[in-house]
Amino acid sequence: MAALGEAKPGGTLRHAFGGVLGFFILLLIGVLAFSIRLFSVIKYESVIHEFDPYFNYRVTQFLTKNGIYDFWNWFDDRTWYPLGRVIGGTVYPGLTLTAGTMWWVLHSLNVPLSVETVCVFTAPIFSANAAWATYLLTKEVKGTGAGLTAAALLAIVPSYISRSVAGSYDNEAVAIFALIFTFYLYIKTLNTGSLFYATLNALSYFYMVCSWGGYTFIINLIPMHVLLLIVTGRYSSRLYIAYAPLVILGTLLAALVPVVGFNALMTSEHFASFLVFIIIHVVALVHYIKGILSTKMYKVAITLVLSVGITVCAGFLAILVALVASSPTKGWSGRSLSLLDPTYASKYIPIIASVSEHQPPTWPSYFMDINVLAFLVPAGIIACFLPLSDASSFMVLYIVTSVYFSGVMVRLMLVLAPAACIMSGIALSEAFDVLTRSVKLQLAKLFQSLPAHSGDTTSESSTSPNDVAKVDKKVLIKTEDLKERSSKKNRKKDKETVENAPLKSRSEKRLMVLPLAPSAVAILLLVVLGSLYVIHCVWAAAEAYSAPSIVLTSRSHDGLHVFDDFREAYAWLGHNTNLDDKVASWWDYGYQTTAMANRTVIVDNNTWNNTHIATVGTAMSSPEKAAWDIFNSLDVKYVLVVFGGFVGYPSDDINKFLWMVRIGGGVFPHIKEPDYLRDGQYRIDSQATPTMLNCLMYKLSFYRFVETDGKGFDRVRRTEIGKKYFKLTHFEEVFTTHHWMVRIYKLKPPKNRMKGKSRKPKTSSKPSSTPRKEETYRKNPWQ
Amino acid sequence: MALGSVVCSLPFLLVALFASGTWGGGSLSGDDLVAELETLRSQSPSGVIRLDDRLVSRFLTSAPVPRPYHLLIFFDAASLRSKPELHLPQLRSEFAIVSQSFAAHHSGLPTASKLFFCELEFGDSQSSFSLFGVNSLPHVRIVSPSTRVLLDSEAMESSAFARLADSMAEFVESKSKLSVGPIIRPPPVSPRQIVVLLLVLLVASPFIMKKIVAGETMLHDSRVWMAGAVFVYFFSVSGSMHNIIRNMPMMLNDRDGRPVFFYQGSGMQLGAEGIIVGFLYTLVGLVLAFVTHGLVRLRRVAAQQGMMFVAMVVVYWAVGKVISLDNWKTGYSIHAFWPTSWK
Repeated sequence: MAALGEAKPGGTLRHAFGGVLGFFILLLIGVLAFSIRLFSVIKYESVIHEFDPYFNYRVTQFLTKNGIYDFWNWFDDRTWYPLGRVIGGTVYPGLTLTAGTMWWVLHSLNVPLSVETVCVFTAPIFSANAAWATYLLTKEVKGTGAGLTAAALLAIVPSYISRSVAGSYDNEAVAIFALIFTFYLYIKTLNTGSLFYATLNALSYFYMVCSWGGYTFIINLIPMHVLLLIVTGRYSSRLYIAYAPLVILGTLLAALVPVVGFNALMTSEHFASFLVFIIIHVVALVHYIKGILSTKMYKVAITLVLSVGITVCAGFLAILVALVASSPTKGWSGRSLSLLDPTYASKYIPIIASVSEHQPPTWPSYFMDINVLAFLVPAGIIACFLPLSDASSFMVLYIVTSVYFSGVMVRLMLVLAPAACIMSGIALSEAFDVLTRSVKLQLAKLFQSLPAHSGDTTSESSTSPNDVAKVDKKVLIKTEDLKERSSKKNRKKDKETVENAPLKSRSEKRLMVLPLAPSAVAILLLVVLGSLYVIHCVWAAAEAYSAPSIVLTSRSHDGLHVFDDFREAYAWLGHNTNLDDKVASWWDYGYQTTAMANRTVIVDNNTWNNTHIATVGTAMSSPEKAAWDIFNSLDVKYVLVVFGGFVGYPSDDINKFLWMVRIGGGVFPHIKEPDYLRDGQYRIDSQATPTMLNCLMYKLSFYRFVETDGKGFDRVRRTEIGKKYFKLTHFEEVFTTHHWMVRIYKLKPPKNRMKGKSRKPKTSSKPSSTPRKEETYRKNPWQ
Repeated sequence: MALGSVVCSLPFLLVALFASGTWGGGSLSGDDLVAELETLRSQSPSGVIRLDDRLVSRFLTSAPVPRPYHLLIFFDAASLRSKPELHLPQLRSEFAIVSQSFAAHHSGLPTASKLFFCELEFGDSQSSFSLFGVNSLPHVRIVSPSTRVLLDSEAMESSAFARLADSMAEFVESKSKLSVGPIIRPPPVSPRQIVVLLLVLLVASPFIMKKIVAGETMLHDSRVWMAGAVFVYFFSVSGSMHNIIRNMPMMLNDRDGRPVFFYQGSGMQLGAEGIIVGFLYTLVGLVLAFVTHGLVRLRRVAAQQGMMFVAMVVVYWAVGKVISLDNWKTGYSIHAFWPTSWK
């Protein structure tokens, strides 16, 4: 306070000025975070991306149209025909409720935006929010300067951009904001001990639970930190207030989310928080008793309390162990286990191991996703240890756990990104702090010594540390004059040092400077490093992460080609088929078909029923007749296949076909993978096996393909197809898109039976289907 | 393990000689052969029978078909055991574990005499190798009762060796319809070692307790934790987890035998490559932290100047190296976007 009083005349003004400047910087950071994510809209159009976002979009549409209660009880009969799906109980509702609320607020303000527009821009808006939350969190840990730097870094970090470009309307978009904000409120509560923030913290945790399955990270990380503080003897009433309400309120609120429900109490992912909850109470009791008893009595009491406490703990532990041991996977889901034991998934869960998001990353992934932050993080870690406070120990714990998890699964790079930004923000801010201070003070010395010719400062600066305080005052006064003329940026930096540095150590810190010229060069190098980061992030946002994958473009020597076949096909379905017609396709296209064509699908991207998916896989792998039987038994009218052989689109159904065979064969053993492979090789040319050449997927993909170029050359597989001329007996082609990427076939109506027999219309022929049923019993797994 | 089986093979040979001498080469009933195999099995600690050319002819080629047993044969070669990429010693010990598990789950049951685990060594029995048509290792084959020509016996797919004992057990189950049961692995620490460890702990515990109470252990030093945190960071960003999960080698050799440390293509990395780049990532951060927190405390200006110069050169070099390596490996051409009027 004394030092602040010393700098009184300019102090308040500078303070206010810094506040306003900081506010505008934050505003610009928000604009930056929002606008860097608009490349997808500028380069393509305002459209929802990929697969899952289409489902979220459809749910939001339903919510805005029918209201919250209907949404909560929504049973969707447009998907998983004939089973349907309970949407209200199986989705994380945070994202849809957020976008729905935004839409509702806009409409009550008479801003007529469509639901789609709101959905497209939800992710960029929440990225800006996440940047501001990062500022708040880092400010609690290391002060305003680090906060602003971290927020600016987070606004453009590629890892987060990849999940939150405009149109990428998925859970992670809002969940990362919720994650950072929950951490901020926890640290804020820990620093202030205020019940107000503790309550907000529980609410924020509730929002996170609503939004994303990743909330388990929070409910394990915070207990770990609490335990760490207790073990290191940093227990305080603030810690108690930060933790106990979060567990009680948070767990109660989490159990309100239908998709979580009693999992919030029953699964092992949450047990750590309860265990720490018990421990913190024991410790609190010990502290209380220590306060009211004399030292001697306390020693007697502590043995009593400790023994009672240990027995209680042991009892709870035994219950926990019994609960855990009674479940087959020891209460842990496969995904959590694969995080703890990285080799677990590759050994036991091929489905998890096969997903590309679950692969372990290599070093270029880090450079791609957090770029130069990878260099700065160690400096941030070290800065957090000097000195180690409650808040900074939390950040260290956060970075260490998240960097370990990201090493196991590339998908969790998203959780690492905020931690890396905060650490790098701290590192950069401290480095700039030291370097700019050096430049400023050295310059001041230079200016001072030149006119005066006294040389007192230069000689004194090399004298014994005992004189530091004296010299310091002189330098301080001199610099005060200089500050009035120094640039805005310097003023702000200086304000931070005044604000953050513990006042006692401030006077010592004053002389901790580096030589002038190297400091200037170092500042330059850091600026270059920062601009490398900016260049990389803009490039990543513009080139790598903006493709919506529903519209494809390719740039060749004769200009830009746009492939809009998917929407063409879905629009055709929407306009030319009956509202109740069922469309069969591989599960990847289920969400898009229901959202864009509004037709009932058999399977979709929510892969909850393996048998159902296997049935479609079996149909696709069967010959025409058997496939027709399966599809007909499911009331399917149309079959949709995606074919990339004409334009060279590699992720088409022929390339996914082996998965259909595998999944189909997993449930219906008459489908055998080796039947589709020639000597273990998957091929579609003349060497392909007869089973392959006769299966439905091959026929639907390559039907009339030879008419395009006369040879039937497949540009994805880079080979001529094996069987070129054939006719379809049970299916007829009804639509093929412009670039042949989507082909739609209709099931032919069943042929009339034998002459002279009853010629009933087939749709209502129950008795006639019975002999057929026996005949084809083995071929049709569905009946 | 290898030494053990060599020592064991001597009595086998004697028993076999004795057996063939007594009964002659004539056609034997299946029961006699089973009894003989059981004797041989009981002499091996892991239950793996060491075959040679003569025993192969006795139990396989000249035995009447159908034979009352399956033979699961592991093909071994003492000369190739030193090659690390074949993992022969490891696979052989896994084979023994499967054998022991089978014995444990089937002891006393009639199924115990339906399946025998055998091994063939290339040096001892080259002609048997050619009978089976085996010309590459590692190799595991099962000879079912009805196999007449040994070439027709079924081999385990080489891709399945990655999962060791589990896949061997699955292979046996799929081909012979005999279930091995859960694999019983020997505990990593033997009971005797556990006792010793416990004793050491017991003796040391008062000293450890005293240290902990006094707050003098390494765990009380925040610098140790700092180093630990930085190490975890280094470990992860170097992609070590990728190397562990995928079993990546530290380096490869190209056709000329020169070592290759860096693999081009972003989906994969080699061990050395990850460590080098992870080191560069960490190095820059450490240097920056040293300048901001360590160097400022130094009083001598000349030393400060020199160290800062070195630090800047190192940082510049490391960042440049990583960027060029990344561009080379992934093939991305990262470029800035300038206003069109600037061009």
